Amino acid sequence: MKKLFLTMAALFFMMPVCASAEGQAPVVVEKPKEFVVYVDKNSRDNHYIPSGWMGDTGDIKMADQCAENPHGGATAIKFVYSAKRSQGQGWVGVFWQNPPNNWGNKKGGFDLTGMTKLTFWARGAKGGEVIQKFMVGGIKGMYPDSAEIELGPVELTDTWQQYTINLAGKDLSTISGGFSWTTTADLNPEGATFYLDDIKFEADPAMKPEGKKRESMPFYIYADRSTSKNHFIPSGYMGDYGDIKYEGSSKDNPYLGDTCIKINYSGKRVQGAGWAGIFWQNPANNWGNVDAGYDLSKATKVTFWARGEKGGERIEEFKVGGLMGEFSDSDNATIGPVILNKDWTQYTIDLKGKDMSYIFGGFCWSANSDNNPEGATFYLDEIKYE
Amino acid sequence: MLAACSLFFLTIILGAASRAKPTVFIKKLKNKHYQLIVERKPYIVKGVCYSPIPIGGNHEYDWWSDTSKPWMIDGKMMQAMGVNTIRLYQTHENTEEVKTVIRDLYQNFGIRTILGDWLGFWEYPCPFYGDKRFQDKVKASVLDMVKNYKDEPGVLFWILGNENNYSCLGAVNPWSSDEIDKEPDPQKQKAMKSEVYYSFINELSREIHKIDPNHPVAMGNGELIGLDAANKYCQDVDIVACIIYRGKTFGNLFRSLRMTFDKPILLAEFGADAYDAYLKKEDQNMQAFFLESQWRQIYENLANNKEGEGNCIGGTMFEWSDEWWKHAPDNPDSWKAQDTESNWTNGSYYFDIKAESNKNMNEEWFGLVALSQEQEFGMNKRIPRKAYYVVREFWKNPTLEVKKKVKK
Repeated sequence: MKKLFLTMAALFFMMPVCASAEGQAPVVVEKPKEFVVYVDKNSRDNHYIPSGWMGDTGDIKMADQCAENPHGGATAIKFVYSAKRSQGQGWVGVFWQNPPNNWGNKKGGFDLTGMTKLTFWARGAKGGEVIQKFMVGGIKGMYPDSAEIELGPVELTDTWQQYTINLAGKDLSTISGGFSWTTTADLNPEGATFYLDDIKFEADPAMKPEGKKRESMPFYIYADRSTSKNHFIPSGYMGDYGDIKYEGSSKDNPYLGDTCIKINYSGKRVQGAGWAGIFWQNPANNWGNVDAGYDLSKATKVTFWARGEKGGERIEEFKVGGLMGEFSDSDNATIGPVILNKDWTQYTIDLKGKDMSYIFGGFCWSANSDNNPEGATFYLDEIKYE
Repeated sequence: MLAACSLFFLTIILGAASRAKPTVFIKKLKNKHYQLIVERKPYIVKGVCYSPIPIGGNHEYDWWSDTSKPWMIDGKMMQAMGVNTIRLYQTHENTEEVKTVIRDLYQNFGIRTILGDWLGFWEYPCPFYGDKRFQDKVKASVLDMVKNYKDEPGVLFWILGNENNYSCLGAVNPWSSDEIDKEPDPQKQKAMKSEVYYSFINELSREIHKIDPNHPVAMGNGELIGLDAANKYCQDVDIVACIIYRGKTFGNLFRSLRMTFDKPILLAEFGADAYDAYLKKEDQNMQAFFLESQWRQIYENLANNKEGEGNCIGGTMFEWSDEWWKHAPDNPDSWKAQDTESNWTNGSYYFDIKAESNKNMNEEWFGLVALSQEQEFGMNKRIPRKAYYVVREFWKNPTLEVKKKVKK
């Protein structure tokens, strides 16, 4: 009995020891291989909420349990973008956020370390719809995302296609903006209806970090109104911005293709500056606060076609690069003043010897009212780096 | 025989004398880097732009004849900081007073002086660089300066103009000539003006070299604008003295200069103001952050640094002390108060770019030392800002690696 007691007692005291020893043994915790943003409406696997509507929010309609030919499961997300510019912005976008409506003002998000890509499926209702970019991260504010990675522009087809955003090597330790898309009315003048499905982060060991991509030439700023070839956004209105009317889909005798850019500068000095201009930026409204320059080192020149409505309109400067802020364009080059002809004329900005390795201010024009007292209407087309 | 020997040695002596190195010159090294040599030693310009206007005065204030000698107080503080050079934009009509300032600074504190001339840039109605009479007048003024001060041991070199090249674009103080006006193409007009302007600078440089072989000639230039023309018409200048306000980095400035106009560069005006126009309060950290970063880039591009272009010889920060008249130069009442309004915008100084109308550059707050209403030694008391100490420490121990600890 005594022996049994002792044995029992020994077992009793050993049990925690054994348990403790077992607790100290290496625990193999299997890291998740995927992290879902959306697979189906009401799926318990979903993370993030598509709460961050941006730009012309009145132009967007969203149905997140659309049963029209989903890619997987029972539902997909349908977006209808009217491109009516309800808020006068000319662009729209939606962020999937955690917690909802978190623009960096709250602590939140997920630590997605280990994930190396985000995949999603997308299709357009007709095909040809252009999404300017899809993005992971990029929330700013007091609690900013640790990374911002984008893909685009993307021209959708009318069948489901899978797209991948490479996240290898990125710091995903804090991501409040799990996924987002943005596009513009210029890229989709008739609007766009498109579908998204099966959006998820994946831990794919085969993904390798992308090096800084040297863009291949030609690199278009503007080819035609709604083409995915276009880069940079004509968002940087300067000086008397109230004097400018910009039309990115003018059919008034384009030089090439269906459309050209028409700019009407009234010269009325609405803001009292006496001059005005537009910078094409990446992303929109980037004055140097976003690290988003293209590597255009292969370019030796920028060419564009221009004409004045009457002939004789004077543009003080056409320029590429030269934006400066927390991040700065690596160089700049200009021509001007240029007096426009009534007929289409090609102009060239020479980039030889310039450092074009980091450019987010892709193109710019400026004019003043002293030299255009009656204002100026002029057209631009086929703006590209070569 | 004796006569022949004497003649032989005299020839050698005279030959050696004629080959004697100038007191100050630019040396091009084998690796194509540039060094400023002063009395046979490499010299890094660690300078400030100097304009000691007291509270209540404006640019017309005659500080040269100020009996309290502000440069003596400033010189002592500069010496303690490590400043070895001041830049003066223009000399004064009283040559003895100018010499006194140069000598006082050099003899007491070892501080050398860069002397400049505006080249008539601010004359009314505008600087007619295409007009022979105007050119002759400017030339006389410049050569007088050189003749008057070339033998002063404290003189480092000459700077011609400041941002006068902007007048060729028509942006500031526009000028023209009958011949230029006949040209209908504005781009060609611009090119014609640049040719006239830079050819004139070249002529001035050659004339200076004739009468003063001991000091280099620098050309003031706003940014790198127009230097492709300078490359054609202005090869006789020795140094480009650029005015650059690009925030925390000079970007590709040094490389770009190397490719367009291969001359050594002095950052003749750069810096940051110490007032946050967005938060509407003084921010000494902001100024110190920018200045330290700028000096780091200057050092990276000095000669014999493999990482840089090797074409920088130093810089003169804008500026030593605040000037309270600058925001409203025509309103004497405002000279008695330090204005917090801003005149211009520059996105490179991004901390306060969200200020109203993005106007974030506060002209009256660029000083390394602030001015106090309190009098000390018969002048406004100088109060060093944080940048004074940060740059001082950088010069003592110039580390080129960016500190991990972000100050701002």
